[in-house]
Amino acid sequence: MVQPLKRYPDESINVNAGPIRDFHETYQQILTDLIDTIEAEGLEALSAIQIGYAYQLMVIKENNTYHAYANPRIITQSDPFDSTESSSYFFDQPITVKRYGKLSIVYDDAEGKMQTIKIDERDKAATFQRKLDYLFNTTLLDRLLPHQREQAIKALAGKGHMPDLSDAFCPTESKKEYFVSVADKLLFFMFISLFLPLFNLSKETLSGWYTYDKFAFPTVIILMIGFFFYAQYEAKKYKQCSSCQIGNNIGVIIKRGIAAIAFAAGAYFILG
Amino acid sequence: MARLIVMGGGVSGHTAATFAKKWLGSEHEVVVVTPNSQWNWIPSNIWVGVGQMTKEDVVFPLAPVYEKAGIDYRQAKAVSIHPEGKADSDKPYITIEYTGQGKAGQTEEITYDYLINATGPKLNFDATPGLGDGNGQLGEHTVSVCTADHAMHANLELKQIFEKAKTQKQKILVGTGHGMCTCQGAAFEYIFNIEHEAKKAGVRDNLEIKWISNESFLGDFGMGGLHMKVGGYVVSSKLFAESLFAERDVPWLIGAHVNKVEAGKVHYELLDGTTGEEEFDFAMLIPPFAGVGLKAYDKAGEDITGKLFAPNGFMKVDADYSGKPYEEWKASDWPRTYQNPDYKNIFAAGIAFAPPHLISKPMTSVNGTPINPTPPRTGMPAGIIGKAVAHSVCDLIKEGENAHLHEASMAEMGAACVASAGKGVFDGTAAAMTVYPVVPDFEKYPGTGRDTDYTFGEIGLAGHWIKHILHHMFIYKAKLNPGWTLIPE
Repeated sequence: MVQPLKRYPDESINVNAGPIRDFHETYQQILTDLIDTIEAEGLEALSAIQIGYAYQLMVIKENNTYHAYANPRIITQSDPFDSTESSSYFFDQPITVKRYGKLSIVYDDAEGKMQTIKIDERDKAATFQRKLDYLFNTTLLDRLLPHQREQAIKALAGKGHMPDLSDAFCPTESKKEYFVSVADKLLFFMFISLFLPLFNLSKETLSGWYTYDKFAFPTVIILMIGFFFYAQYEAKKYKQCSSCQIGNNIGVIIKRGIAAIAFAAGAYFILG
Repeated sequence: MARLIVMGGGVSGHTAATFAKKWLGSEHEVVVVTPNSQWNWIPSNIWVGVGQMTKEDVVFPLAPVYEKAGIDYRQAKAVSIHPEGKADSDKPYITIEYTGQGKAGQTEEITYDYLINATGPKLNFDATPGLGDGNGQLGEHTVSVCTADHAMHANLELKQIFEKAKTQKQKILVGTGHGMCTCQGAAFEYIFNIEHEAKKAGVRDNLEIKWISNESFLGDFGMGGLHMKVGGYVVSSKLFAESLFAERDVPWLIGAHVNKVEAGKVHYELLDGTTGEEEFDFAMLIPPFAGVGLKAYDKAGEDITGKLFAPNGFMKVDADYSGKPYEEWKASDWPRTYQNPDYKNIFAAGIAFAPPHLISKPMTSVNGTPINPTPPRTGMPAGIIGKAVAHSVCDLIKEGENAHLHEASMAEMGAACVASAGKGVFDGTAAAMTVYPVVPDFEKYPGTGRDTDYTFGEIGLAGHWIKHILHHMFIYKAKLNPGWTLIPE
């Protein structure tokens, strides 16, 4: 049965496909649907995940013959080259990625028996790698460097195939940076206050700075708590956002938390 | 008074023994039999192997900890199990051979009411000719980071390579030393820590560093792969690993069964049936695991090892060992209580239990050689299983033989793993990964067999900090310092 093709930006394609275990019902059903869809859409190859089956099966059409590869793996690869490719998922928008021209492959046949083949034609090798990528949660865009990826996305949007995705990406300036900026300024003056006794200032002045430190320390901590929750909110709002990574956010918090504790302890012993 | 013997003092055995003693109190006796005098936080051995930690940083003496806990500690290796006792007594017992405490070489029989087998694995170096020395120990051609002593030795060898690399090209090979290895993660950590240290030492340009593994794709990690969050993008562990290896100029060989090791050279067979050789100046190859070789005898002294243990030497528990084909594997094949089906007072925990089958898809080269990762049982599942088994034994002792047994199926538990890719407070990197469930449940989660929301990873500096924090936290816990029970497994 012909199945609808998944099209960008349908993210349901972004799952790791599971191994084919049942070579009777599951394999035959997916294989039939893959061939029917290739015929109907005039394609040269298709991965099961492109028609919604999260299983490791792909079909390549060659000389009007369909070759099915279940649970395929590339064991060795050589002859790297730049391959300009297109995929139905990306509305045939050409995208250039790194591929290998020579492959040694193992896969399971229709009986579930492992077979091995070698491919040494660049076009066929590129097709095989592109389809294999889909089975491992990888699209053409994932093979690009970040700036190339952004260009490719803009090209796709420009053709009118894409909705405006600007809300899905990191804003150039994030509001969470306000939390960090204020915390950094408070920390800077906490740091400065540690050196004030060197300048023969009055007790009242030093006492005033110590009061500042006592205010600044909890404020920095509160700001970092606020930063964490706002950053979590942004991480959910903007899907493609490197600075939203929880590891980065925790890093920001730990650095400033340690600095605040160190400066507060210093102020306690020096000014207190 | 009942007596519980725990064979093994690693993550699972130590967890089982310490919790059992805490729950049983002084009314019952807990005996730990382990040939080691020190407890080793194994995940940090890779940092010992690159000189970023000392052996003392990753081990501590067991005797004072067990004395504090009131546990009877025997520094000895278990030799045999006699679950039916002997001719003149029905009391089951084990035989042990001391390795320390001033009694090295002496043997002894210890009776038990309950027995937990948590011996961990034998590092089966001899499975690959040349990887071992022929006597079960590490051979002369390669190094290992599986124990703290191995890691120290690896570091000394590595430093010599770094020294030579100041003036000449050197080649480093890291990975798995057999087609049926597990623990690819440890080798993954080691290769990137070497690469990181080589850069710091200014010798990276003169080092060719290569990966060799039995995984059928990079990023399999013995678990069939997972999602990774990298720089805000969600990618497969395959793409993540391939990118990481390419960025750091580390070429790879996958689907490889190392079948012979010689001085400066390994011979291998790939899944596609091709064979080859790889030369090296320094190689760290993880060995396959096997059971420690315990024997078992019945009341008449007849060998019943095959009744208690699977052919690979791991202990049979409440799993399905019928040898079903891959398409029929189920989550329910995996053990839940870790109780031996024939002797209800014997349990196995951690790596010591026999898994019913692989986790990754079984693969065999066209020549018929099995080449696939065997099931990983990292510290977290080992600790959880050890605690569950201890709980069961304590309930059996206190409530009688009809007590409910506690369950900890690997098909229903998640696991977290943090793989270091370079140590440094500000320039360190580690991949933090979670997998749920550890064993795929293809009925509950069709396709990959895993819940994709909870099967993912993330790489960055924070991961390194987490690994460092875990190092201190778990050593603190293992020393039974105040609040140790609050720290999860």
